[in-house]
Amino acid sequence: MKQKAIIFDASTLISLAMNGILDILEELKKVFKGSFLITEDVKKEVIDKPLTITRFKLEALRVKHLLDKGVLELSNEEGIQKRTQDILDMANSSFEGKGKDIKLVSAGEISCLALSEILSKKKILNVVAIDERTTRMLVESPDKLGEFLERKMHTKIISKKTNFDIFKNFKIIRSAELVYIAHKKKLVKIGNGQLLDALLWAVKFKGCSISNQEINEMKKIK
Amino acid sequence: MKDGENIIRILEETKVALKAKDTLKLKQLSDQTNNTASRTQDADNIAVAVIVYSLGKILERGYLGDGLIVKRIDAVIKNIKKGGNLLTNSLKQLRAEIERVSPGMKKYIQEVFRKASINKASKIYGHGVSMENTAKLLGITVWELANYAGQTGISDSPESKTLGIRERIKLVKEIFE
Repeated sequence: MKQKAIIFDASTLISLAMNGILDILEELKKVFKGSFLITEDVKKEVIDKPLTITRFKLEALRVKHLLDKGVLELSNEEGIQKRTQDILDMANSSFEGKGKDIKLVSAGEISCLALSEILSKKKILNVVAIDERTTRMLVESPDKLGEFLERKMHTKIISKKTNFDIFKNFKIIRSAELVYIAHKKKLVKIGNGQLLDALLWAVKFKGCSISNQEINEMKKIK
Repeated sequence: MKDGENIIRILEETKVALKAKDTLKLKQLSDQTNNTASRTQDADNIAVAVIVYSLGKILERGYLGDGLIVKRIDAVIKNIKKGGNLLTNSLKQLRAEIERVSPGMKKYIQEVFRKASINKASKIYGHGVSMENTAKLLGITVWELANYAGQTGISDSPESKTLGIRERIKLVKEIFE
């Protein structure tokens, strides 16, 4: 495997697939000196399961096409399932409300973190592409996540801060940053001066956790 | 208040709202279950949230004509008071009876339940539970949830911002160098 990788969570592939812009990944892959990886758990969410649902079958086939063509690769790293379970157990026992652990995350997104950790140990530079908010908050600002849970659930939340260390070395991007870089590299050949705005709003509307303010900031970056 | 007591309170108030044909109250009651459902992720709490929300939607269209549903809710409350062992089954039965309540409308009512599940999933995701985990809890797909949640203001809450845009752009530029 090449020495760089982007690991894709289901949420990012779903944002791109539902907007019909998975071809951006193909274009990005041509200029990326590394691998675009998915885990078995993510494959289940973006291909296996939706292939059985008429409503999302076409999008699932499009993602499968990327896998068949080698744009996306299914990771076969050893030990990923065991490490996924370890991290999952830590994540889902990090916050407690009314004496019970709050189960926040599932195997799909956590398998991406497990793979990232395995690759980092092998000195393979990598980032994880996750559009959903909870895992990103858990990695980048677990204290803030605890406060957020407390405010939303109207319950005192106890954070087990000793668990947080395990999450601190992951690097997260979203589909928003992927369409940004594709746009900057002139890989998206449609539209005019409004293209970046259109792309960012499109991924936001299909689940990418990016705020209006962030979109405005992103458009100003040269 | 214990979670079982909370379900009883919600169901008692649901009966009152149904009798008064108060759809707004039903929506408010369903929303009150979001906090507990997000924290405990207990199937019964989630089922109650979906049922009460759906009742509001069905009532809006005038498809809940008689008192059968109120009687069924009474039976569910009795089960909870007895110890709750049969609660999950009672809620399933209640849902099935709501689907049968208006002959010829079964498909519409099933669609109301599906949409209610997506709506509740979006609320639970908005409370901080991950997208995939929430989808599993509500028996929907991540695709349905992403599509719905993307059109809400969830990602605009100030807490959602965990890293500056410039820093994140730097990450993506570095990996593509």
